[in-house]
Amino acid sequence: MTGVPPTAVGTGRRFGRRSRTREDAFDRPRFLKLYSGLVYLYLFIPIAVVVLFSFNSVKSLQSFQGFSTQWYSDFLNDPTLRESLFVSLRIAVITMVIATIIGTALAIGLVRARTRWSPAANILMLIPLVTPEIVAGVSALLIFSQLGIQLSFWTIVIAHITFSISYVTVVVRGRLASMGDEVEQAAMDLGATRFQAVRLVLLPELWPAIVAAGLLTFALSFDDFVLSFFTTGEDAQPLPVRIWSAIRFGVSPTINAIGTLMMVVSLTAVVAAVLLPRFFGRKESGIKVLTGQEGG
Amino acid sequence: MESATAEPVEPVGGTGGGNGNGEAIRLENVTKRFGEFTAVDAIDLSIPKGEFFSLLGPSGCGKTTTLRMLAGFEVPSEGQILLEGDPVEDVPPYERNVNMVFQSYALFGHLDVTGNVAFGLKRRKVPKDEIERRVAEALELVSLGSRAKSRPSELSGGQRQRVALARALVNRPAVLLLDEPLGALDLKLRRQMQVELKQIQREVGITFVYVTHDQEEALSMSDRIAVMSDGRIAQCGAPEEVYEHPTEEFVAGFIGISNLLEGVVDGPGTVKVGTGMRIAAPLPGDCELGDTVQLSVRPEKIAVDEDIEEGMVSMSGRVASRIYHGVNTQITVDLGEGAHLVALEQQTYTASADDRWEEGMAVRLGWHPENCLVLR
Repeated sequence: MTGVPPTAVGTGRRFGRRSRTREDAFDRPRFLKLYSGLVYLYLFIPIAVVVLFSFNSVKSLQSFQGFSTQWYSDFLNDPTLRESLFVSLRIAVITMVIATIIGTALAIGLVRARTRWSPAANILMLIPLVTPEIVAGVSALLIFSQLGIQLSFWTIVIAHITFSISYVTVVVRGRLASMGDEVEQAAMDLGATRFQAVRLVLLPELWPAIVAAGLLTFALSFDDFVLSFFTTGEDAQPLPVRIWSAIRFGVSPTINAIGTLMMVVSLTAVVAAVLLPRFFGRKESGIKVLTGQEGG
Repeated sequence: MESATAEPVEPVGGTGGGNGNGEAIRLENVTKRFGEFTAVDAIDLSIPKGEFFSLLGPSGCGKTTTLRMLAGFEVPSEGQILLEGDPVEDVPPYERNVNMVFQSYALFGHLDVTGNVAFGLKRRKVPKDEIERRVAEALELVSLGSRAKSRPSELSGGQRQRVALARALVNRPAVLLLDEPLGALDLKLRRQMQVELKQIQREVGITFVYVTHDQEEALSMSDRIAVMSDGRIAQCGAPEEVYEHPTEEFVAGFIGISNLLEGVVDGPGTVKVGTGMRIAAPLPGDCELGDTVQLSVRPEKIAVDEDIEEGMVSMSGRVASRIYHGVNTQITVDLGEGAHLVALEQQTYTASADDRWEEGMAVRLGWHPENCLVLR
């Protein structure tokens, strides 16, 4: 021990508590695993309960008696519930396609257009994101009735698209801003017209962000309740609205089965966001765009 | 492989490499304003075919704007741009026979190296087998043949730079525009790429217009340099000319170390400098008594102490600071009255330059009057 300076690397442990450095304590907090475990339990217990009880063999929401798939077959054999599932899927797909196109175009315009209005336009675009959904729902309902538009499948779609555009724009805009505009200029320098530069270079470069944004809006639209509730007319109800109506007449374990299925659909969307760009030979995936791990 | 060496990438249409068969670029009174700000102010320029031409200047001097006007990304507010004799101010970038190497490289991340290099040829509907051949040639030219299937994200900075170069050169443009292409590379790689770029330029014979703020880079690579300042061309000439005979204070200061002494003309061929000394200087004929002039002496032209020869102008001062550079030592000498001169002492085979001076030491500096430049 003699001759070793107390600051030498790797001596912290041997000298015990006194020479224990701040970095040591910071790098290896004692209860990190415990804290993390608790956070994840908190996040996943409700989901786990729903999934577990969706396979319960009895009609109890308190005690699990045995495995069965009867609530799934109940759901699939109920024509109105099945219809609602397909309504929700159709709304989500149409919303995804239209919102992705409009949102991407908006992002390109917001980032590339340099007028004195662009700062204002960039901020205005965020307002749908921070508007309480209940306000958006009520105002959508008011507008539709003022204009004499009968609530229907399409009024739900229109309402969903309005809030989805902002999500798409935020995701695509981030990617676009980090790209800079030299890539398009390079394309034009190499003989591409403005339109070709967008089609052959800009859109392919943005593709992972576009896919991620599209699947995000699919998931958001698919399980949206508040907006759908205000804009659903006499057509078949989307699934979340249908569930809400059903609950008024008592809770059935079928709800758990539906919830589990909806989660599977949303998870599929997320997994697709990860995998789809890889099928196009891309290194980056949509999930990196969503989780902010994207480099330069 | 044989055909690649036998047939180097050459400009189309018999324009051929080499100097002296016509003008590649001509700028006449070209001005560019952004609102109130004049980025480029009425510049005239003529660049012959096959020349390696540099636009050198500090940031904001208008060099990049000039380059972007040549590429077609900016339209001049006034004046005319002629490309091989044809006015091109209104021709969009995709119809101009020029290509650009961007500072950020601007490679297409969704395409591999081959896809990037072939992009321009595909837009011009070049037959498929010719595209393949020319892309292979271009990659060979920049020594990247083995990375044809890599994605830009898998390449190093130097390799990306080469892809950007191949992507532009493969189109055999009349003029290649380079916007600080080596700016993002580390020093050693930059030196190596300077040599390579120059070699490639000689090989393909295409006119290069090279934008840089690095005076050393411009001096070592260019056939001619235009030094720009505040949107105008301060001086245009061969590297030796710009370095040895700067025509104005800005050029003398921007290229090399600035060593300026202010003085007043007080006799035929003599100038009274700020320290009160009268020294000989090669005054131009139109200098009159009482004119204020700047004397500029390059640091390497200044002799110190025992190196001072007969016929030199000399003055004494104290060493204010000493910077050891390895190959030489730079000393700043305080001459009093706020005047300073920088001298460079080379390491030689007989003496090492690092231990001859210390701060505060009294020294004498001297130079031959003909090595001193008079600027007004």
